[in-house]
Amino acid sequence: MRTRALSRWFLFSESTLVYIFLYAPIAILIIYSFNTSKYAIWEGFSWQWYETLLNDDLVLRALKNSLIVALVSTIISTLIGTLAALGMQRFEFRGKGAIDGIFYLPVIIPEIVMAASLVIFFGFIRFTLGMTTVILAHIAFCVSYVIIVVRARLEGFDKTLEEAAMDLGANEFQTFFKVTLPVIAPGILSGALLAFTISIDDYIITSFVAGVGSTTLPLQIYSMVKTKVTPEINAVSTLLLIPTILLIVIADRLQREKK
Amino acid sequence: MKQFVIIICLIALLGCGNKESSETKKLNLYIWSAYITDETIKKFEKQTGITVRYDTYDSNEALLEKLQSGITEYDIVVPSDYAARILIHQGLLETLDQSKLKGVENLTPRFQDMPFDPNHGHTIPFLWGTTGIGYNKTKVTEPVDSWSILWNPRYQNRILMLDDPREVFGSVLKWKGHSINSKNPADLEEAKGLLIQQKPLVKTYNSASFDEVLLSGDVWLAQGWSGQLAKAADQNKDLAYVIPKEGGTIWVDNMAIPKGTKHTEAAYAFINFVLTPETAAEITNLSGYPSPNEAAKKFIKPDILNDPARYPDEQTLAKCEFLMDVGETSTLVDRYWTEIKSH
Repeated sequence: MRTRALSRWFLFSESTLVYIFLYAPIAILIIYSFNTSKYAIWEGFSWQWYETLLNDDLVLRALKNSLIVALVSTIISTLIGTLAALGMQRFEFRGKGAIDGIFYLPVIIPEIVMAASLVIFFGFIRFTLGMTTVILAHIAFCVSYVIIVVRARLEGFDKTLEEAAMDLGANEFQTFFKVTLPVIAPGILSGALLAFTISIDDYIITSFVAGVGSTTLPLQIYSMVKTKVTPEINAVSTLLLIPTILLIVIADRLQREKK
Repeated sequence: MKQFVIIICLIALLGCGNKESSETKKLNLYIWSAYITDETIKKFEKQTGITVRYDTYDSNEALLEKLQSGITEYDIVVPSDYAARILIHQGLLETLDQSKLKGVENLTPRFQDMPFDPNHGHTIPFLWGTTGIGYNKTKVTEPVDSWSILWNPRYQNRILMLDDPREVFGSVLKWKGHSINSKNPADLEEAKGLLIQQKPLVKTYNSASFDEVLLSGDVWLAQGWSGQLAKAADQNKDLAYVIPKEGGTIWVDNMAIPKGTKHTEAAYAFINFVLTPETAAEITNLSGYPSPNEAAKKFIKPDILNDPARYPDEQTLAKCEFLMDVGETSTLVDRYWTEIKSH
């Protein structure tokens, strides 16, 4: 009995410590977004950094760019990624192993190599750097993540369900939309969320392929470091946490309802 | 499904309003963050009818990478002295048409003929500053007037040095009476020895937030750039900035037109706009960095103009040097720097 109480106490304190380790920095970030002082010394509560933020065209524009890039590249890469995963799952063809390996490449190769190669490629085809190149680059690396996640979901997919649907008179489209898609939907959703997260905080690749008018939030924050990281950055990060948390909650709800 | 794909493609196309119009009434500006404010930009737009799009960067290296890719559309960039030199050397900057420039005579004589770009062939100074020592007056009570204080064992673990080999070596070279651009192996060898000796006293090597570290009280003495340290001193009256009596580095960031710009006229209009005393003064008043524009001085706020941290006297400035390209020697400095950091 004593040992059980002890182990329970250990479990409790350990998990508390882990949670503190994970969330204390975020809590501090939020707290300091309400700091009166510009520096990491607490002087008092104020909304001033949120006001500064609302008047800072550069940061707002960067935020808008980030959201556009993340949304567009998430949608496109989820689409491509899901189709690719389905194709890889269903069909056998020559060179499948090689193609399979190539899909993983963007995940494995160092980001800086991918960034440099993209710039050289865009330079080679004389494609001017801007929003389009940023979105294309983001799609390029997000697709791999989507494929990995969706394929993991497909691994556990019971093929007999599809066969049963076909036996009962459903055509291929009906089978896909009424049987296959609902089953793998949580996988697609996780893939999309992962793509969105990776896209919205990417710095290295974006910094290489960004051009006129395509500064994203991470680039903006980095460029502000030279002069000062003001609590304005804390404010914008805090605001960015809200949709992220909402997204996770929604995804979680959807997955549960399915069950 | 097909419709869905088409819709997404349309969204993607709409999302990237990237098509360059051939109008001349546009200007794409790529500049250090916090160097220019929307206020100034809007004045320029109103005055000239040119629409400005601008992005900011955090290091010369970011700018170099962008211009070297050869597929950007920036019309004005603002590289620091040494980066400007590299860009000129690589032929990435347009030669300035002197007949289109107005107001160059407003510049302080010191900034009329820059060592990295004689006679404004490619660049026009935008803002400048120095490298010196920021310190806490309540903790360091003895006079801070020499680089040697950064070797005083009394301040063990209370010293910060820039994470920048040329600047760090520059501080020792200046202290020992050499040029910041010395190529003499004996000078550099001596500097390396002193820096290794100094290392136990140094709390951290930091170029990004040296002012914050000084403000937080973690260090009492910090090598750093005048702009940030002067701002830190505004915030906390216990702090001060000084250029040691041996002299320090002087640096200048310059406007330039990248090769292949489509908006040449707009670019010259922007340079000429910045060269007017009123605009130059406004940029300085809002950013806190000193202006190379002599005629602007009468419009600059007195507390900025009379701040010796921002506008050091001529005598002090005469002892400061620009960091120059030292060629092969930079490889040696980098090697010594690695040795020091890993010691």
